[in-house]
Amino acid sequence: MEKFLANSIYIGRGLGFVLQLLGGGFLIGIIVGLLLSIFRYRKASVFLVERFVSVIRGTPLILQLSFIYFSIPGICGIKMGVLSAGIIAFGINSSAYVSEILRSGIESLPKGQFEAAQTLGIPKYYMWKDIILPQVITNVLPALVNEIIALLKETALIAIIGGMDIMRRSQIIAAEQFEYFTPLCIAGVYYYFLVLLIELVGKKIEKKQSDVKNP
Amino acid sequence: MLKIHNLHKTFKSTKILDGISLEVEKSRIFGLAGPSGSGKSTLLRCIQQLEVPDCGFLECGGKTGFMFQDFQLFPHMTVLENLLYATKFVDKKSNDKKESKKNHMHLAQNMLKKLSIEEKAGIYPRSLSGGQKQRVALARSLMIDPDIFLCDEPTSGLDVATIQDVVQLLKSVNEVGVTMIIASHDLDFLTKISDRIVLLKEGRIAVDIDVRQQPDPAAYLKRFYAASS
Repeated sequence: MEKFLANSIYIGRGLGFVLQLLGGGFLIGIIVGLLLSIFRYRKASVFLVERFVSVIRGTPLILQLSFIYFSIPGICGIKMGVLSAGIIAFGINSSAYVSEILRSGIESLPKGQFEAAQTLGIPKYYMWKDIILPQVITNVLPALVNEIIALLKETALIAIIGGMDIMRRSQIIAAEQFEYFTPLCIAGVYYYFLVLLIELVGKKIEKKQSDVKNP
Repeated sequence: MLKIHNLHKTFKSTKILDGISLEVEKSRIFGLAGPSGSGKSTLLRCIQQLEVPDCGFLECGGKTGFMFQDFQLFPHMTVLENLLYATKFVDKKSNDKKESKKNHMHLAQNMLKKLSIEEKAGIYPRSLSGGQKQRVALARSLMIDPDIFLCDEPTSGLDVATIQDVVQLLKSVNEVGVTMIIASHDLDFLTKISDRIVLLKEGRIAVDIDVRQQPDPAAYLKRFYAASS
């Protein structure tokens, strides 16, 4: 029992690292994804945006992560820590998926919403900020929650560049104690707990939005 | 107020507007009749600059307000927020922001009262009826204080009693000096409200009548309607 507790604490110390990767990655993902989707809607640099999304979605994340951590320093001499390399890789990867989610959300809005904003003389920036995006985010919220969950599970790849996350810590324990079952189960429980938490928050936000609209 | 000369518009090799020329005087109610596909909406959209004409001349002597056939209220804002949002950008240069905000609030509340929907101020558009939505859309487009008010099919989907309300409403807007251009396929409605009616047929002006000088303008126009379809 004491060993189990000690193992759980050791593995759980990776939680903060995972949350940093997830938070930083998703923040970059949503900002870059948002810009990409607006570029694409406004037919600006469509070719570049489409190629970017296609390449990111068409190559393994493990390759993108290794590329940023191992080969970027060799090319331009910028040295990165494991955490920053992870956040950048997960952020860029997520941005491609987020941009597709947002694009479908933007395209599913009636064109009249854009036109109504135009006829009322609302400047472009405010049109996006106050009229279009609030509606788009509400419509695509379930898809965005899915994307966060997918990203959370993908952060386990950080182990291949030496990040001390939940997965890697459980592997260390397993290798030290010649026993895989318990540490992997502990890691699984941690991940699943996080997923449940994200689902719960997502549902809370969804419910809050529908309460506002259907009082 | 509005001058249009030889306006053309084509969508994917289909001619929608084929040389429209007309002038609309200030403070008049101008009806735009015609079967669906005759180019009424496109003409309105050109005036509002939602469409760019292929060629021709269009001069608009004032700010335009536009009411969409399907209203296009902002669903994530309450009725009052729908009305107030656009006013944020109306007198941006005014020094006293607080004062102008207060004025706009006052204006919005008065407008809702006048349209007898003041109790709906805090409600989201999805729980409004068609007639109520239309009144909100009307109020919203009037909040920016337009000189010309463009109205696309204001009676579609409304019952007879509500249409009568719409006539009163639009007339009351016109009484304060706003020029109105109303597109509709409903000739009875148009003859009730307009000073002048132009009937479009395949992107051209088929008839142009002064409603007050025709003994029975609806019947007169209906003859052209039949001939054009």
